[in-house]
Amino acid sequence: MLFSSIPFMYYFLPCVLLLYMAAPKCLKNSVILLSSLVFYAWGEPKYVILMAVTIAIGYGAGLLIEKAKTKAWKRAHLIWSVGICLAFLGYFKYANFFVANFSALTGISVNMLQIALPIGISFYTFQIVSYIIDVYRADVAAQKNIINFAAYVTMFPQLIAGPIVRYADIAVQLESRTHTLTDTSLGIRRFMVGFAKKILIANTLGELCDIFKATDDKTVMFYWLYAVAFALHIYFDFSGYSDMAIGIGRIFGFKFIENFDHPFISRSVTEFWRRWHMSLGSWFRDYVYIPLGGNRVSKPRWFLNIFIVWGLTGFWHGAEWNFILWGLYFAVLLVIEKLWLLKGLNKMKVLNHVYVMFFVLISFVIFNASNVTEAFRYVGGMFGIGATGFVSDEFFYYLRSYGPMLVLGIIGSTPLVKNVCTKLSQSPKTSKVVNILEPIALAALLIVCTAFLVDGSFNPFLYFRF
Amino acid sequence: MNEKIKNIAVVALMSIIVFGLFVTCLIKPADEYSETERRPLDQAPELSFNTIFSGDFMSRFEDYTLDQFPFRDGFRTIKAASALYGMGQLDNNDLYIHDGYIAKVEYPYNKDSIDYANDIFNNLYTKFFEGKDMNLYMTIVPDKNYFLADESGRLSLDYEALVSNVIAGNPNLTYIDIFDKLEIGDYYLTDTHWKQESILDIAQYLASQMGTTLDDEYELKQVEGEFKGVYYGQFALPVKTDTLKYLTNPTIENCIVYDYQNDTPMDMYVFDKATGRDPYEMFLGGALSLVTIENPNAETDKELIIFRDSFGSAIAPLFSEGYAKVTVVDIRYIQSAFLERFIEFDDQDVLFLYSSLVLNNSSTFKR
Repeated sequence: MLFSSIPFMYYFLPCVLLLYMAAPKCLKNSVILLSSLVFYAWGEPKYVILMAVTIAIGYGAGLLIEKAKTKAWKRAHLIWSVGICLAFLGYFKYANFFVANFSALTGISVNMLQIALPIGISFYTFQIVSYIIDVYRADVAAQKNIINFAAYVTMFPQLIAGPIVRYADIAVQLESRTHTLTDTSLGIRRFMVGFAKKILIANTLGELCDIFKATDDKTVMFYWLYAVAFALHIYFDFSGYSDMAIGIGRIFGFKFIENFDHPFISRSVTEFWRRWHMSLGSWFRDYVYIPLGGNRVSKPRWFLNIFIVWGLTGFWHGAEWNFILWGLYFAVLLVIEKLWLLKGLNKMKVLNHVYVMFFVLISFVIFNASNVTEAFRYVGGMFGIGATGFVSDEFFYYLRSYGPMLVLGIIGSTPLVKNVCTKLSQSPKTSKVVNILEPIALAALLIVCTAFLVDGSFNPFLYFRF
Repeated sequence: MNEKIKNIAVVALMSIIVFGLFVTCLIKPADEYSETERRPLDQAPELSFNTIFSGDFMSRFEDYTLDQFPFRDGFRTIKAASALYGMGQLDNNDLYIHDGYIAKVEYPYNKDSIDYANDIFNNLYTKFFEGKDMNLYMTIVPDKNYFLADESGRLSLDYEALVSNVIAGNPNLTYIDIFDKLEIGDYYLTDTHWKQESILDIAQYLASQMGTTLDDEYELKQVEGEFKGVYYGQFALPVKTDTLKYLTNPTIENCIVYDYQNDTPMDMYVFDKATGRDPYEMFLGGALSLVTIENPNAETDKELIIFRDSFGSAIAPLFSEGYAKVTVVDIRYIQSAFLERFIEFDDQDVLFLYSSLVLNNSSTFKR
């Protein structure tokens, strides 16, 4: 089920909120668990079993690791449990990728497996794996209550698209949390920001991307318009979903980690990745990069670690070569920055932003391609190779039609709006007006977003496939 | 207003909307049909073990909730206003308004669709017309976007390519160009179609090109009430409506009209439909596969067969004066294999009359 859908907003959410409010404290996690299972089953009824098995493995492994008396046994429990979790992920997400590549390499025809990607498997597998590793490292105590553990993994606000919430971050809140008017209000406000980002900006720019993909008249300028539109689309889509997740979590008394911090204002690609999908970046840092030795190794090994991490990051996003290419593309940029550019970039004022946006735009064109061939074709088109010309009427039409939304998206992707709102609400002269207008503005946003949902059919969510 | 009161206001206001609409969703009886969108609405899906585990229930429930959402038309109006005036988009769901006319951004030119239409027409030629003493004609009715796109800054079809392709693809048909004989005022404000009262000169011109003269006088009559065309509901914003007018005279009134699809006689103008879901269906009964118009007072025994889309409904009655029999065929609703059951192809004039909208989206043509 999508957050940005009528069934979620006007059927599921009200029911869950009523149940949650009515439930005594000791049953609140059970309500979250049950509602999360319904939420998940809504899209993938049969894969609830797979998720339940993975949860059971994570839960059991945590207890076994904690109870194991020797380091060897702890390690053994870590290996089998993480191995099975990753095997599930590998089979359901990557089996067909390997089959297709095996066939292509050897010429031996192997039938593709008839398996659909279970929604959110990358997210919940990473959560469970991080939990098992944290228990193994004795960073957290194993969760004894399976309801609490299952509620942590399945928690519907973040189940299918993150942020990748670490168990350590909400372990205390799972046992005991408070519900306040302030948290509820802040949660609603955050949810509404995400809801509007997704429905009004991301979906609208997504239409432009689809128009570009469908047209035969792909001029150089249209390629660049598409690149800008898609970069904004994916940012508002994913960060909007993260905002909604964080907002709902807050209503239920949880404080999830932030996932985005205005990545498009970065001065370097290194900084970009500290601001983009932060929960995934920190997961790879803590569970892959640092265990590999991080940067406390020889230079060649350091760079190899970077390539391994970024290859895996790309592969995590999808079982296609263009995702791996996308990850390695960033590895190359990061290595170049670490070797030569980083200090200079941090001192610049304008050129560094141009540099970051140039490479980020290209990266998302690679990211959104159906395969490597299309990725090269699209990137080539941005520089005139294979384009139908430099500019066309079609480009101008869509630039005019989507221009206001692009400008709004560009402004909205900077901290400007947030800063202005904060200043206005803190200023004694304007705070009263802001306080009166904010609830009205939120209600108006909800009505307008609902209108877009009722009218529109374009509402896919990108990170479902990951 | 301090922070606490603001928090209360936020929670209260949002709760009223979410829970209010939640309760309304639950208690509102399901509507069967949307008058504004002219389509049946999805009903509650069957709830069973099978439908749940196949995922069918969930996907259909989503469609159902969208179709049955309370105040649906009001929300669609808010969306249209937000998209066009709030976000500055040039069209909403491909529709725009210019000088009071609602038009569709029909774009781009779909060569595959034209090729398919040509293929269908050639099949008809091979099956029914080849080697016979028949005069074959083709005309294309431009859609409203042809007149409005340039001055309103919208995209439009490559009409030149479309017409060239149709002409080149049908070498056995004589093309009659009516593009420069039409203007936007010949079309309804809120509908795709042309107005019958504005196309008498087009009928006369087409007839003259086919060797027939039409010079009857007509009386212009008006259907009571306002006419909200197909774009009215789709556009979702309040706009000026049309009136439905029709031309009549003793020739038209004396014609014998027969609907072969329902095997029943009918009137040239079906006034019951003028107050129905699609008032334009008043003209020759609307979407019917095969209709004949016989003129018992004709001064000729010439016959005309019109292969047409809905634009043919308003113009076909005007040809009755010049022909003993006009047969009107819509190959979107009948396969060509069945035509010989009803039509003896002999020495009739044949006119293919299609709008650019249908030619550019010809997948509905049946072989």
